[in-house]
Amino acid sequence: MRKKDIITLVLLISATLFTAALSVNSDDLKYLVFVILIASGIKFSLIAFQFMELKKAHTFWKTALICFLVIFFGVVSIIVFY
Amino acid sequence: MTKINYKNIYYPPGGILMWLIIFLELITFGIALIALVINSKENSDLFHQSRLILNPSFGAINTVFLLTSGFFMATTVHQFKLNNVKKSSFYLKLTMLGGFMFLILKSVEYFIKLKEGFSIDYNSFFTFYWLLTGFHVIHVMVGLTILFVINKSLKKGSLSVEDIEASAAFWHMCDLIWLLLFPILYLIF
Repeated sequence: MRKKDIITLVLLISATLFTAALSVNSDDLKYLVFVILIASGIKFSLIAFQFMELKKAHTFWKTALICFLVIFFGVVSIIVFY
Repeated sequence: MTKINYKNIYYPPGGILMWLIIFLELITFGIALIALVINSKENSDLFHQSRLILNPSFGAINTVFLLTSGFFMATTVHQFKLNNVKKSSFYLKLTMLGGFMFLILKSVEYFIKLKEGFSIDYNSFFTFYWLLTGFHVIHVMVGLTILFVINKSLKKGSLSVEDIEASAAFWHMCDLIWLLLFPILYLIF
């Protein structure tokens, strides 16, 4: 097992439990939504770049994935806030 | 074992065809989720009440199952590249176990929701919930079938790096889709 993969898994699980706890224990979710979406975006990138080894790929694929992430979470955030 | 040049635009890890499928799937699920969020603006109370009916613990535990399974998949590929076929097969089985655990917990969740009467036509939130999670479950089932076949080939020794990387990419895609579904269905409304 690679050390980086283990660290990634620990970060992923911690972020999942943190966002779930945040959602359950908060009455006003309006601003926490932003934190939850950012945490989800980070988790998404960790899987793609570390587990799927996209970090080794051509810049085109890395850029395409980041563009998808920014557009998706950006659109969701805008709709939720306005 | 042939060395693949991943820096070549045509050979991302998992293969170009698999990555085209991954992007198509992400865009499809992404559009459906954006439609769900737009719909929530018109019925914010209904979506909030419906979201509270879902059990976030089920969602979080299922996320942990998929993430751990993804970790074992990455280890499987790594061990295969080191020519450790036995270890690779062992981690592949752990990967499949994670997938099965996900499906078992999802079935329990579905059973509870159906028993309580929250079926696909209960309201618009549950229509989205059943369709999105249902399509995702189908992807997990297809992924498990691929992993089962790959495990058979691994034992026979008839597997290339490209094969196992493509299968791994499909499996990780199930994680990626779930990471879009989980916060939006279970957490933000």
